[in-house]
Amino acid sequence: MIAQLPIVSMVMLLGMALIIPLFKRRNFSVTTSLGFVVLLAVWVLTLLVLWHVRVEGPMTYRFGNYEAFLGIELYIDLFAVLFVFFILSLIMVIYVYSTGDATEGVAEKEYGRYYILLFILLFAMLGIIYTNDLFNTYVFMEILSITTVSIISIKRKKENYTASFRYVMLNEIGSLSYLFGVALLYMVTGYTNIGLVAESIGQHWTAYPANATTAIGFMVVGVGIKSAVFPFHVWLPDAHSTAPSSSSAILSAIVVKVYILIMIKVLFRVFGLSVLDVIPVSTLLIAVAATGMIMGSMFAMAQTDIKRMLGYSSVAQVGYIVMGIGLISVLGLQAALFHVVSHALMKAALFLSVGAIIYKKKIRKVSEFNGMGFEMPVAMVVFTIAALGMIGVPMTTGFISKLNLGLAALDGGQAVLVFVLIVSGFLNALYYLPIIINAFLKDNPSQIRVMRVEKIPKTMLGPLVVLGALIVYFGLFPGVLIRVLEAVAASLL
Amino acid sequence: MNDIIVKTVARILIPFIQLYGIFIMLHGHVSPGGGFAGGAMIGTSFVLYTLVFGIDKSKKKFSERVSEYAESGGILLYIALGLIGIIMAGSFLTNIDAGFPKGTPGSMFSGGMIPLLMIGIGIKVASTFITLFHTLIEEEEA
Repeated sequence: MIAQLPIVSMVMLLGMALIIPLFKRRNFSVTTSLGFVVLLAVWVLTLLVLWHVRVEGPMTYRFGNYEAFLGIELYIDLFAVLFVFFILSLIMVIYVYSTGDATEGVAEKEYGRYYILLFILLFAMLGIIYTNDLFNTYVFMEILSITTVSIISIKRKKENYTASFRYVMLNEIGSLSYLFGVALLYMVTGYTNIGLVAESIGQHWTAYPANATTAIGFMVVGVGIKSAVFPFHVWLPDAHSTAPSSSSAILSAIVVKVYILIMIKVLFRVFGLSVLDVIPVSTLLIAVAATGMIMGSMFAMAQTDIKRMLGYSSVAQVGYIVMGIGLISVLGLQAALFHVVSHALMKAALFLSVGAIIYKKKIRKVSEFNGMGFEMPVAMVVFTIAALGMIGVPMTTGFISKLNLGLAALDGGQAVLVFVLIVSGFLNALYYLPIIINAFLKDNPSQIRVMRVEKIPKTMLGPLVVLGALIVYFGLFPGVLIRVLEAVAASLL
Repeated sequence: MNDIIVKTVARILIPFIQLYGIFIMLHGHVSPGGGFAGGAMIGTSFVLYTLVFGIDKSKKKFSERVSEYAESGGILLYIALGLIGIIMAGSFLTNIDAGFPKGTPGSMFSGGMIPLLMIGIGIKVASTFITLFHTLIEEEEA
C-alpha cells in the first residue's frame, strides 16, 4: 500500500492542476483552500513514505508491472523522499504566503493560471526526484522549464518577456545537452533505466571511454546551465527578479536545487566513483564553483535592484553546493545537501520578506530601504536573520553549512577552498550588512519619518515567521538533519 | 473570408478531416499515428473552420467552456485509467493484468486500454489546438 503513495501523490498534484480551470466561475477562495488541502494530503502521504523508507529501506515502483528494461520505474530511497518532503514543506509555507495577495503584479483573473502552473511545477519536481529513468528525467525537466517560463512571463510586461525568452533559450540548450548525454549513454548501454545503466557502465565503460567522457560532460553542463552554475548563470538574475515574489522564492529556493539533485543523481548514481576517479570532473566542478562563489557575490554588490541582488547571491550560493559535490566525499556531499536545505530556507525567507516590502511599499531599490526597520519590523527582522545566515553568522543554518563545507574541504586536502569560502563570506557581508544597518539605524531622508507600522496580512506574516524560526532552529540544533543527510550521502557514494 | 467557393469546399472537407482524425486516433495501437496525430487533425479541422467562417461562429461551435472541460477531461481520463491499474493490479497504468480485454491482435479492439488512452490524448490535443488558435486570433484583434 505504501508503495502506491508516491505515484498517488504525483497524480493528486496533477489532478489539482487540472481541476482549477473547472472552478473558474466559483469564488477563488474555494480553489485556494482546495489546493491547500491537496498539498497537506500530499505532505502527509510523503511523511508516511519517509517513515516507511527510513525503517524498511528503499523501494522500487514499476509502472504497469513491466520488467525494468522494458518499462519505467520510480526509485524511492531516503535521498528522494527526504527532498520531496522538504520541497513540499517549503512549498506549503510559500503557498500560504502567496494566498495573502502577495502574488505581486499578477492580475486578479490570472490567479487561477498561476496556481495551475504552481501545481504542475510541483508535479514535475516530484517526478524528477522520484524517477529512476534518465529519459523520464528529461521529460520532467521539460515540463519544469516550460512551467517556469510561464510563471516568469505571467506578469505580461516587456521585461518579463525578455527574461523568459532568455530563460527559454538557455534552458533549452541545457535540456538538449542533457538529452544528448542520455543518447550517448543509451548508445553504449542500451538502457535508460538508471540502475541498469550504472551496472552496464561500471563493467564496460573502459571499452568506450570517449562516449562516457562526452556523456558526462554534456549531462553535467546541461544540468549546470539549468541550475545556474557560474559561467551559465546569465539567465538567472533577470528571470528570478522579474517573476512575482512568491514564485521568485520557489524558483530560487527550490527549482534551481532540483537540477542540482539531478546532477548528484547523474554523477553518483549513474556514473559512480569508478568513473569519477578517472575523469577529472571533480577538479572542474571545484574550479567552476570557486569562481562562481567569488564572482556571484561581486556581481551582487553592483546591483541597485534588491531582487536582482538576491538573484546574483543565488549564483554564489549554488557555487557552495557545487563545491561540496565536487569534493566527492561523504563529508562534502553531506555539506552540499545541508546547504541545499539551508540555502532554500534562507533564500525563501529573503525573497518573501522583500516581497512583503515590495507589496506594501512598491519599492525595489536597495537605497530606498533606509528606515524600513521601523515601518515593517517583522519583514525586516526576518530579512536580517536570513541575510545574517547568508553571511554565515553563528546561530543560523548558513553558519553550519559553511562550517561543514570548510571541514569537508580541509578533509579533502583543499585548504585553498577554505580561503575562498571566507572571502565569499566577506563579500556577502559587504552587500547584505549595509541594507540591514540602513534599515534599522538610518532615517529615510527623502520623506518625513513615519512612525507607523505597516500591517501585512496574517497569511503573509505567518510564513515569514516560520521561515525565520526554522533558520535559527536548524542553526542551533542541526544534529538530526545532519545525521539523516550523512546517511543519505553515504547511500549515494 | 466571404467567398462562396471556399465556404462550400470547407463545409464538404471538414467532416472528412474529422472522420480521418478519429480513425487515426482509434488505430494508434495497430498502425502509425495515435492520439496526438489524430487529435491534431481534429484540431486542424476546427482551425480551418475558424479561418473560413470567422472566430465568432467558431466560438459558438466550440466555446471556451467546452474547451476547458475537454482539456482537463482528456488528462483526467488518462489518470482515471491509470488508477484502475492501481486498484485492479497494484501498479499504475497496468494494462492486461488489470483485466482490460486483449482482443484479436491487429484489429481495432485489441491492446487493452491503449485505445482508451489514445482517446484521452486525442481530446486533449484537439482542444489545445483550438484554444491556442483562438487565443492567438483574439490577441491579434485586441
